[in-house]
Amino acid sequence: MELKGIGVGSKAVVGDVFRLETSEAVAEHQKTSHTPGEETSVLATAIATTAATIRSETASSDPTTIEIMDALLIILEDPELQQMAKPHLEAGFDAPTALFKALDEFAELMGDDEDFKSRVGDLRGIATRISSWVRGIAQGPSIPQEGRWIIVADDLTPLETSQFGPSVVGVVTELGGPTSHTAIICRALSLPAVVSAKGAMALEQGSSVLVDPVGNRVLPDSDLSQATQSISFIPHADTPLITVRANIGGLEDAKKASATSARGVGLFRTEVLYLAQASEPSIEQQTSAYTEVLKAAPAGKIIIRTIDAGSDKPVPFLKLGNEENPALGVRGFRLNTKHGGFVISQLKAIAAAINATGRDVGVMAPMVSSVEEVRTFAALCAEAGIQSVGIMIETPAIISLMPDLAGLVNFVSIGTNDLSQYLFAADRMHPELGGFSNPWQPGLLRNVSQVVTHAKALGIPVGVCGESAANPLLAIVFAGLGVESVSAAPSAVDSVSEALRAVGAQKASEAATLALRASTAEDAEASVRSLFEGD
Amino acid sequence: MGQQVVRAITVMDPIGLHARPVGQIVTLVRESGMTVTLRRPDGLEASAVSALKMLAMRVKVGESLEIVIDAEDSEATTALGASIEALINQV
Repeated sequence: MELKGIGVGSKAVVGDVFRLETSEAVAEHQKTSHTPGEETSVLATAIATTAATIRSETASSDPTTIEIMDALLIILEDPELQQMAKPHLEAGFDAPTALFKALDEFAELMGDDEDFKSRVGDLRGIATRISSWVRGIAQGPSIPQEGRWIIVADDLTPLETSQFGPSVVGVVTELGGPTSHTAIICRALSLPAVVSAKGAMALEQGSSVLVDPVGNRVLPDSDLSQATQSISFIPHADTPLITVRANIGGLEDAKKASATSARGVGLFRTEVLYLAQASEPSIEQQTSAYTEVLKAAPAGKIIIRTIDAGSDKPVPFLKLGNEENPALGVRGFRLNTKHGGFVISQLKAIAAAINATGRDVGVMAPMVSSVEEVRTFAALCAEAGIQSVGIMIETPAIISLMPDLAGLVNFVSIGTNDLSQYLFAADRMHPELGGFSNPWQPGLLRNVSQVVTHAKALGIPVGVCGESAANPLLAIVFAGLGVESVSAAPSAVDSVSEALRAVGAQKASEAATLALRASTAEDAEASVRSLFEGD
Repeated sequence: MGQQVVRAITVMDPIGLHARPVGQIVTLVRESGMTVTLRRPDGLEASAVSALKMLAMRVKVGESLEIVIDAEDSEATTALGASIEALINQV
């Protein structure tokens, strides 16, 4: 039976299912007939032995992985943890149960600590190995070095992905989305993957499957000839149907973008310049940083986004504190209320860099949701001497307010990742909500169309700078919807550009109509794909 | 109580005092053989050989922290204090 999911990568692969799962007997709570004293020494020995095994397994990994694994092992080796386990041992539980309970208690103590939350899965993973050693249950997660394996799991943790060797050729997960840890790692390792594939854990161990990321599916007993082909576009025009720009975060990206066919920069994420700064840089320091980037950026218009930080993306000198709901908190342009001085210094530095380089630059604000915010931003830009002013379209509220923005902004740019998060009320990083981040969701595309309609009435251009524009088919859909420019990571610029040189306005408009008509993400993608498969 | 060397620092790491530097501090302090405590302005403190206790202090970016070494001021304590500070602020 075919499984549907969200594909990562463009190459299909065939391999044998290797299911990573924890035997329930390893994780369950058990009482023991041994004395607490006996179990205490069992626990100490089990932790020491397992830690030594894991240290030797990861010895040849990259330095970052080694440091993180070492930190996790040091936490588990901490005598304090064994102290926390003691009451449970005295209550008659065996060593692994007491360890699980102590870890749960500690996790509760750490509450919403983001760093710790991201590590707790790995800590439990190591505790599970300790448990299987104590209980003598054969340990699952040891991927054979020989063979061609498709790793199948609920979701993957860094501990698990760090064990991937050359015998791992693909990945299928039951949970996760296009921006989850698993998807990011698979992209980085060029491993074909299908995430958010419901029913994956029912795949039979050792059976042969085809991982077909382009088709967003997993097929049992199939060969590569059944894989969905990525559409190859044959360019016939010299210039793309709409402008293709690059997304950059700093000087290195700007240089990379210049080596592509990008016409300018659609999104310069300026927070990257500040994330590592302990104190606020002077206007002069900022100006020279912006000047360098503007000089190196590809020819064409450059759109700079002012700082987009928040408690989930903190900048040390802004002291943003902790928030219950970082995605719904003080972030993006909302920082202006408390840190207005910094926003002004950023705009002054950008204006100085524009003067120094003579580049055509637009400046936009992230995360605005009211007309007042847009007015404030436009006034700040005017004061700094910035001519071309824009905003990001990332909240549902600002879409309906667009008719009121006449004379305030010169352009808008849609950030599809955050717009999805706020339209669907679905955390981008939530493992079980990955499907909502699918950029083919009609709930998103119909809003993009609405933005274009409002922008046409205002007579201003619309760009799309979210992850979605890196997908050539979606870039065509955006062109057909009336978007004037798309921008993508430097590595994706050329493939998007090629696709947009291969289609005319008529075909793009047909694609947009099909995508808007669909009721589900799956139908939207399938109908647009079939329009181009015949070519 | 014997002599103490106190080094006051501000945590610069965007994610505060987190698992990776804490692990490195435990290793460093164990090797040094000295008694080291991390202390927050509110008086809450943790032994620098307990990863769990240091993490449980939940020190965030921008917060002050004191590195307290139970020893007479010497080149060795200055170097150890500086190394711990460098591990906390790897930014």
